[in-house]
Amino acid sequence: MRPENYKPVQHSASHEYELYFGPNHPGIEGNYALKCVLSGDVVQSLRADGGYLHRGFEKIMEERLWIQNVALVPRICVPDPVPMEETYARAVEMLGGLEIPKRAQWIRALMLEASRVCAHLFYFGGHAATMGMYSNMFWGVTDRDLILDIFEEITGARIYHMYITPGGVRRDLPEGVLDRLSKVLDYVESRLPEFDNLFFDNAVVINRATGVGTLTTEQALSWGVTGPNLRACGLPFDVRRDDPYLIYDELDFDIPTETAGDAWARTLVRREELLQSIRILRQIIATLPKVGGPIRCALPNPLAWNVPAGSVYARTESSKGELGFFVVSKGGAKPWRVHVRGPSSMHAVHVLERLGPGSRLEDVAQIMFSLDACPPEVDR
Amino acid sequence: MSEEHPEGTGRERLENSTTIGEVLEVAMGFEATARDFYASLAGRVSKPLRGLVQELAEEEKRHYQLFSDLRERPDVQEKISEKIERPANDHRFSDYVQLPELGDYPDDQSILQYAMGREHAAMEQYGSLAEQAPAGPIQDLFRFLAIEEMEHKGELEKRWYELVYPSNV
Amino acid sequence: MSKGSFLRPLKALAYLGRPAVTLPMEPRPAAPNYRGFHVNDWEACIGCGTCAQICDNEAIDMVDIPELKADPLAGIKPRRPAIDYGRCCWCALCVDICPTGSISLSREYVHVGPDLNTYYILPDEKGIHGLNYPKGWSKSPDADLLDLKRQTMGEMEPQERLQSFAEMVAGFTPEAALMEASRCIQCGMCHDACPSHMHAPEYIRALWSGDAEEAVRQIYRTNPFSEVCGRVCTRRCEDACSLGNRGEPIAIRWLKRFAMDSLNHEQVRRIAAEGRELAPSGRKVAIVGAGPAGLTCAYDLARQGHAVTVFEALPHAGGMMRYGIPEYRLPYDRLDDDVDVIASLGVEIRYKTRVGHDISMERLRDQFDAVMIAIGLHKGRSTRVPGTNNENVIAAIDLLRDVTLGVAVDVPKKAVVIGGGNVAMDAARTLARLQTRAYGAVQVELVALEPADAMLADADEVREAKEEGVVIVNSRGPRCCIINGERLTGLETVRCLSIFDNQGRFHPLYDHEDAQVHEGDVVVEAIGQMSDFSLLGDKLTEKLDWNGPRPRIDQDGRTSEPWLWAAGDMVEGPDVIHAVAAGHRAAASIHNEIMVREKTP
Repeated sequence: MRPENYKPVQHSASHEYELYFGPNHPGIEGNYALKCVLSGDVVQSLRADGGYLHRGFEKIMEERLWIQNVALVPRICVPDPVPMEETYARAVEMLGGLEIPKRAQWIRALMLEASRVCAHLFYFGGHAATMGMYSNMFWGVTDRDLILDIFEEITGARIYHMYITPGGVRRDLPEGVLDRLSKVLDYVESRLPEFDNLFFDNAVVINRATGVGTLTTEQALSWGVTGPNLRACGLPFDVRRDDPYLIYDELDFDIPTETAGDAWARTLVRREELLQSIRILRQIIATLPKVGGPIRCALPNPLAWNVPAGSVYARTESSKGELGFFVVSKGGAKPWRVHVRGPSSMHAVHVLERLGPGSRLEDVAQIMFSLDACPPEVDR
Repeated sequence: MSEEHPEGTGRERLENSTTIGEVLEVAMGFEATARDFYASLAGRVSKPLRGLVQELAEEEKRHYQLFSDLRERPDVQEKISEKIERPANDHRFSDYVQLPELGDYPDDQSILQYAMGREHAAMEQYGSLAEQAPAGPIQDLFRFLAIEEMEHKGELEKRWYELVYPSNV
Repeated sequence: MSKGSFLRPLKALAYLGRPAVTLPMEPRPAAPNYRGFHVNDWEACIGCGTCAQICDNEAIDMVDIPELKADPLAGIKPRRPAIDYGRCCWCALCVDICPTGSISLSREYVHVGPDLNTYYILPDEKGIHGLNYPKGWSKSPDADLLDLKRQTMGEMEPQERLQSFAEMVAGFTPEAALMEASRCIQCGMCHDACPSHMHAPEYIRALWSGDAEEAVRQIYRTNPFSEVCGRVCTRRCEDACSLGNRGEPIAIRWLKRFAMDSLNHEQVRRIAAEGRELAPSGRKVAIVGAGPAGLTCAYDLARQGHAVTVFEALPHAGGMMRYGIPEYRLPYDRLDDDVDVIASLGVEIRYKTRVGHDISMERLRDQFDAVMIAIGLHKGRSTRVPGTNNENVIAAIDLLRDVTLGVAVDVPKKAVVIGGGNVAMDAARTLARLQTRAYGAVQVELVALEPADAMLADADEVREAKEEGVVIVNSRGPRCCIINGERLTGLETVRCLSIFDNQGRFHPLYDHEDAQVHEGDVVVEAIGQMSDFSLLGDKLTEKLDWNGPRPRIDQDGRTSEPWLWAAGDMVEGPDVIHAVAAGHRAAASIHNEIMVREKTP
């Protein structure tokens, strides 16, 4: 460029600056960045910048046999993998017209609720950690580990169980595991007062969380918010009750709600849900020994499994909201398309980008975590 | 039984034999006759059967050799008693197979039938001689020969089965 | 809403006074069902590679192990799975699909090392570090991924079967065929075991995807007698099928039949003609005997553009397939279809032309570029027990041929069949049908040397024969035929104690005290069969090299005479699919030979 043509860019005077927040920060269950424009410590605008955990599951699943995807789906969401397995399996069952044996349905419900307990324990710890309170994190993760032990016993694996398969489950429950689960639940329940002391009745925490990231019911509905986040706005919608699957219509449980719609309300809803899940698990523990029969319906050879053409949407109430799988088969050994409607992609992108502006930088992580947004599920 | 069978003519000679050497010599005479018979038959049958007949001639030659070796050995007495102590089974299938008239164009089955009949006759011959002979080395030798012929017959029976019975239908 | 407390959180300080959580250094024992590193029982593993197929991470390679022996007939490949733990996700689908149950996951889960190669292992029973950790996740019958049960096949009721020689097996319905085809794991054991190396995995897959035409195309790559083999093949493939290890093998034979039944004859003819050489080679080949070996050879040579003439002594083609196999197992119009496909390629078949009588071998040698004989085993052997020279002692193969030819057979009211193989069953069941037609009652006794659990015949044949009223008496050896004056009245047998001697040679041992009489007006001997080599003539017989009673051939089917090939039952023993394979080999050898030679004028 000739010097006479050079014109320096003129920046207008501004208080704003851009901060690249992440991809490692306290508000995450996996790498996820936010591009914040700040003025002082107040967020002016916020853009979600995911992709760090993009593994292309949806595309990969088109290249895998129907059964092989059982090994892929739990990896979509690390902290709450069971609903992934359940929803994929149910989608395939709907396509193939498979009938899940009763015993398998109860076992699957047990897995789902145990996974919810895990996820919520993780959530309490995580939410506290966004405020710099790590004891809660350690407690939550330690107690969660006891349930992972139960998972290990049932499925042979702690995190990615790859246990729920179209048509049922892959193994029956080992001897005595229900008793051991029952003891773990007693223990988790007995721990709640300690969590209360440290977290739920902590005046500092309540002050820090109240009024942060507030959603109105209208906003929640128009932005696609589901699950505990929606119930924290006062709307008692729960897929388990409103579109029951497996044996949920045979279970007795409440749908806890809060009305404030802020980060604190979201946490309170989850505390109550933890108790409801334990209540459900106790019912399952009481009923399962009476439910006999096979644990899986007859399946065709998975190498030559021709799932009939069609498209279905299967949904499950995960710990984070409504998890849906939209699966299209054109007939053949592999799915033609699998789309995962993860609750976190709404919560971590659309909701977070709108809740961000106006909040303070130190609350950004808390808002994100209070929405229980799971980046691996956003990116998939 | 046709003329070629040596047993009929040799019986008297055997009954009167008094030494091991003599008995073996007569037995060798039988084997030699059989060997020569098969050798001459080989010239008359078609080529696919010739192999079988030649093998039978070889077999008789081996028997002949066996007996003549035995005659030469100083420890022959020991050898014989050793063998008698563990007699082989007699499957006796060939007892049920008729002895054929071996015409000018025998087939493989008739040749084997004939051979089995010959071994059988020899076995019985030696067996009955053993019963008549006084206890001692001569009786032992007859018994040895009877067992030997029985084993040969067993071998021929196996060949018969392999030829006549199918393996997979 | 609670405002919370500032003091209560301080209660957590009590944790400072609690003992710290400590964990031992050694790994905690894993759950009984744990999914740790693989273990594989090499004795049970057959190397089928299904684990590698199902693996969604391509973590499993099948590695050839030179020390292991291949055993295609038993369905064993000399290779074993190796696992790359850089890829494995421990889903254990390999365990749940393993046809033998040899592979499991152990309760061992710690491996640390800087060398990446140590993450790629060939597991045996001892596990990754040879530490003999117990098994964790292993085969569970309630969640097997393989479908071990065969689709049922419809067949006629025994009473209905006995009324005629109509085909008794219904054939798969399209739904059943699809389900049966979907059971296949595509391991290819069947391909290796088949004498003709048929592309069974490919045609089964084609059937599964609904493409019967492609299935037939795959079938015709290696077998022009598929209507026949789809019905009566001895199916080594099914013996080798991996699914047979714990369940029922794929009904490969019936699937082949289904493929053939799905297409009309014109379509089959078109497929068979695909890719044939249109320009005549100018070479002429004579084939003696229109059985499976001869006609397969003719089919291959005709496809390559050679002029093939087949000489057949009997009035129809098919050899033992027509004159040995009864029509209730193989409808002859199906055989005619196979023959017609071959003839449609330009193969000339001269019926009722007996070589050695109507035309000499020497003439064939002089007039053709090459000659192949495949005359089969059309003479029945006899046990030659006393009484077998009676005129009412007949050979099974003569009986079966007469029935096919339509010769009037004197149907005995009571019959005894000697033999425990498929030919014996064919004879007994044919007699049962003839008796039903003539007298309305079946009285056939079949005496077999073998005990009931070691019959030579197919289990299906034995079952069906019994259903049709044939009485099977096991472990009996014939002693003599009972002749009353001139009349045959039965067969006397003795108990067979054992069949094989201690060296495994066929040498039955009898209990001579245990005799039994089987009444019968006719005794049918269904034991061995032999060839009638009189067609060769004295000179050629003398010139040829022999291997016992059979002409000596090399691996390509060529005899010691450079212009003469031999194939099929006469050199290899009785079996259709072996004959087909031999026909292919001979054709390849003949083609290679005559293409480099001068044409015969």
